[in-house]
Amino acid sequence: MVKKLVLTLALVAMTASPTLAKTIVFATDATWPPMEFVNADKKITGLAVDLMEAAGKEAGFTPEFKAVAWDGIFAGLAAGKYDAICSSVTITDERKNTMDFSTPYMKVRQALVIPKKSAAKCIEDLKGKTLGAQISTTGHFAVKKTEGVKDKSYDEVGLAFEDLYNGRIDGVVCDDPVAKLYALKKDNYKDALKIACIIPADDELYGVAVQKGNKETLELINKGLAAVTAKGLDKEILKKWLGTAD
Amino acid sequence: MKQQGKCVVEETQPIVIDVGDGAAIPKPSDKGLVSAWWLSFIGALVTLGCLLYFKPNPYWRIFKFIPDGILVTFQVTVSAIALALVIGLITGLGRISRNKYINLVASTYVEVVRGVPLLVQLFYIYYALGRVVHVPDLLAAVISMSVCYGAYMGEVFRAGITAIAVGQTEAARSLGFTRSQTMYYVILPQAWRTILPPVGNEFIALLKDTSLVSILGVADLLRRGREFASESFLYFETFTMVAVVYLIITLILSKLVSFMEERLSHHVKR
Repeated sequence: MVKKLVLTLALVAMTASPTLAKTIVFATDATWPPMEFVNADKKITGLAVDLMEAAGKEAGFTPEFKAVAWDGIFAGLAAGKYDAICSSVTITDERKNTMDFSTPYMKVRQALVIPKKSAAKCIEDLKGKTLGAQISTTGHFAVKKTEGVKDKSYDEVGLAFEDLYNGRIDGVVCDDPVAKLYALKKDNYKDALKIACIIPADDELYGVAVQKGNKETLELINKGLAAVTAKGLDKEILKKWLGTAD
Repeated sequence: MKQQGKCVVEETQPIVIDVGDGAAIPKPSDKGLVSAWWLSFIGALVTLGCLLYFKPNPYWRIFKFIPDGILVTFQVTVSAIALALVIGLITGLGRISRNKYINLVASTYVEVVRGVPLLVQLFYIYYALGRVVHVPDLLAAVISMSVCYGAYMGEVFRAGITAIAVGQTEAARSLGFTRSQTMYYVILPQAWRTILPPVGNEFIALLKDTSLVSILGVADLLRRGREFASESFLYFETFTMVAVVYLIITLILSKLVSFMEERLSHHVKR
């Protein structure tokens, strides 16, 4: 036991030294602006990417991002195709059964976006209507949990917003940073859509997911995230992408 | 997505090269295919039965989750094929029309549609349609599928019609039939027999291609499977189930088509 501990510590110490920078491959579904998305230069960028790069600098690992479609992202982790998932994954009990999570790096809630002309105040007013969400996101779960509301799942949240804009569905539920970007900032949508409400529920916490038992990677990431928080770098990154520091 | 070549040289000797991506339709003369059909069918049924009986968790849960998806898959397939048959007939007739403009329009339609992948067409028509008119998602999916398959169907109709010997037209015309009467009373009833096997193939290919509408958020069989898998993390189990269900449906359909084909051509020695 002691031997194992020493060995792990030695490993961590080794990998943590800047001379032996380890590469951690993060899978990300880069369709979730502003958290992670592909920019005009075809590079995966966003808040989470900046955060992992800062964490990497602190803990001595090189983050590498790999674009993966959301509905197969957890299967790929289980199959060992990449080391970790950094893709706005909310820590849930179900997910904890199949993977391990880092310390939370962000707090979000579910926002309901509806057309500007809609009179609905929140999700209860949309009984009998269809709400869209990205497949098996916590937003999708929230819609499914609400009685009397039909759910429609999409591969990407952007497709859901386009369908909302085109009037095929009556609302979209997604994480609030994403909702704010689509409903308040995107040129096409900001005149037609609005955020109706934040769906009352507990705060959701984003974590980086790793394969169950992959302590080495997890410790590295946690170490980096702790250093980033200690130095207050996370506030800067939040401010850069969201405009506010909380 | 689709590869289909058909070449019919009439009169001297009939050469038919028919390569479709639909399920092989069993013919009585093809003994290997017939037993392969039975093998796959019974194999699929036994697999399904065993999975449900011996491992009710998770297979029974999956099985209960997907039936509405199967229904949607059927709805899309049947409506799309009906619409595609109409578009195909019009296109096929347009392609052999002597009117220069009609011919040009039909031919351009076929060229354009065959040059764009079905997946791209689905996205395009679905979201383009959305900007202009408000159609429900299921209808938009059906329209997209039938616009694509209408072009392929048009080629099938054209090939079927041109495969009827010229002598038939000449005989009908000399008996005083007008051109359209010749087409409707003499040529089309005969062409139907040639057309049916490839149409059956298209039907099965279309059923399989409806899995593509799942990207539009239409809750078909594949979409239901994906929803189940990404929530339960049972990817292998779910897609086993989805594949077996698709296989059983296409096998039943291919048998039906082969049965219809036999009924229609019982007086023709092959």
